[in-house]
Amino acid sequence: MADVTFSELTPLVEFVGVNRVYGQVVALDDCFFRLLPGELSFLVGPSGAGKTTLLRLINREIKPTRGEVWVDGLPAHDLSAKRLAELRRKVGVVFQDFKLLPRLTAAENVAFALQVTDLRIADGEARERALDALDAVGLHDRAEHYPHELSGGQQQRVAIARAVVSQPPLLIADEPTGNLDQETAWQISTLLEDIARFGTTVLVATHNMEIVHRLQRRVLTLSAGRIVDDQPAGRSARLLWATS
Amino acid sequence: MGNILRGPRPPRWRTVKVVVRNTFRYLVGGAIRNWLRNFGSTAPALGSMTLLLLLVGLGLVGAVVGQNIANTEARDASVLHVYLRDDATTDAVNALEAQLSGNPDVQSVAYVSKSEALARAQNRPGLPQLADAAESNPFPASLDVKIRSVDRVGAVDASVRHNPAVDSGVPSSYDPSAYRRFQQVLFWVAAVGIAFLILLAFIAVTVTANSIRAAILSRRDEIGIMQLVGAPRWMVRGPFVIEGAVTGAAAGALSGVLALVVCVFAVQAGASSFAQIAPGLTLKAGLVIGLFLFLAGPLLGSVSSLGSVRRHLES
Repeated sequence: MADVTFSELTPLVEFVGVNRVYGQVVALDDCFFRLLPGELSFLVGPSGAGKTTLLRLINREIKPTRGEVWVDGLPAHDLSAKRLAELRRKVGVVFQDFKLLPRLTAAENVAFALQVTDLRIADGEARERALDALDAVGLHDRAEHYPHELSGGQQQRVAIARAVVSQPPLLIADEPTGNLDQETAWQISTLLEDIARFGTTVLVATHNMEIVHRLQRRVLTLSAGRIVDDQPAGRSARLLWATS
Repeated sequence: MGNILRGPRPPRWRTVKVVVRNTFRYLVGGAIRNWLRNFGSTAPALGSMTLLLLLVGLGLVGAVVGQNIANTEARDASVLHVYLRDDATTDAVNALEAQLSGNPDVQSVAYVSKSEALARAQNRPGLPQLADAAESNPFPASLDVKIRSVDRVGAVDASVRHNPAVDSGVPSSYDPSAYRRFQQVLFWVAAVGIAFLILLAFIAVTVTANSIRAAILSRRDEIGIMQLVGAPRWMVRGPFVIEGAVTGAAAGALSGVLALVVCVFAVQAGASSFAQIAPGLTLKAGLVIGLFLFLAGPLLGSVSSLGSVRRHLES
């Protein structure tokens, strides 16, 4: 069997000349990048730089004005509405505001995401897998708690468990630590690192530069809609926009 | 993270059972649960849809009656009743009958005696009481003349109305404009009725679509999560379409029962009064109309909500 180097792997996400315009405002301009399987990357940049727009393009919440967005072999830029679910099952999403359903317990929130995407999963199996996912994020003992009974960090862990329970190849997180204190933010970040270690590609949009520096992973820097810097893992000591 | 891995594949029958149960629970169970929870916002849609379907039902009752009257009118229009004087001699009547039989426009001639006329009247709703109320037989003898073409009824009437055997007061049943007038009235009643139903259908569909929109807004968080995790489109939209169908089914059942009650009353009232309230209307026709409304309700509800879902639920 031939040796395959990391850079030769088929990219899980690929942006080719992507441009996104809102009216007169250019949110993303001529973006090119690739994310490889199992890679943890950070997306940084000032507010309004286009980070959320980039993540929404991956999940096909919006379409690019120009260019191509490929996710695990699917053309997100040109996908019919009928095939959107297929794309979204490949992408786990985590938000700053958690987006948990308040009338469901932590376990039910996770199981809900599992069962609405795959009707073949029985209640017992869904619950078992939800508890496994909660266990993996360190929340097994909070499975029967409702979101309002959990701290912000715990709610974010539930949201991460929900995003990964169906084992998608890609996880995108939009400011996952934005509502959390530094210690909790660090715990969440190490959790995302663990997820990447098990082979899931993780892309995190964040303002939290301390975490970016500590984890020393690949960093894509956006400014005014353009990727102005793409630093490989281990070299994120100097970031253009943060240090300027 | 390693222990989230899936176990061995379960047997096929169990998978099918789970899929059916989950589908029923998310689609039908979810729809009924939300319908009950959102009943406040669904009630106006239920009311307007019930009203629409009830009016459609009453329109169908009217159509059955109108069709029956039209058939009777068309049949009667080619039959001319020539009323005979009470004191007309047998010879005069025979001569008149022979004259009519010799007319090339006439297909057949039949003599109806006074007692036969009375017997016929007793078979018509309302008339038995009138016949019983009179001390003597009020119905005249007549010649029932079947004309080959409706257009020639007037000519045949003109050839016999001054015959000495014919009653000079009411010589015949011929009324040149009655059939045409009836057809015109029927046309305009149908046209106005259909226009009114279209307007009402528009209102019902709009109100239903708005109630579904309210249901979508009240569940937008759940819908958002379902869409983000990759729930199939039919699973996101299905419960709302079924919710609309449930509203339609309730409206259909309500209006179907009401229409049936109206039919029963009309048939019973027609059988026990002088005037024939709804000629041709039977309980069987009422049941068919009720069943039609019961089936039309869910269809109307699901189509209305499908339109709303397509408009208000983004992918």
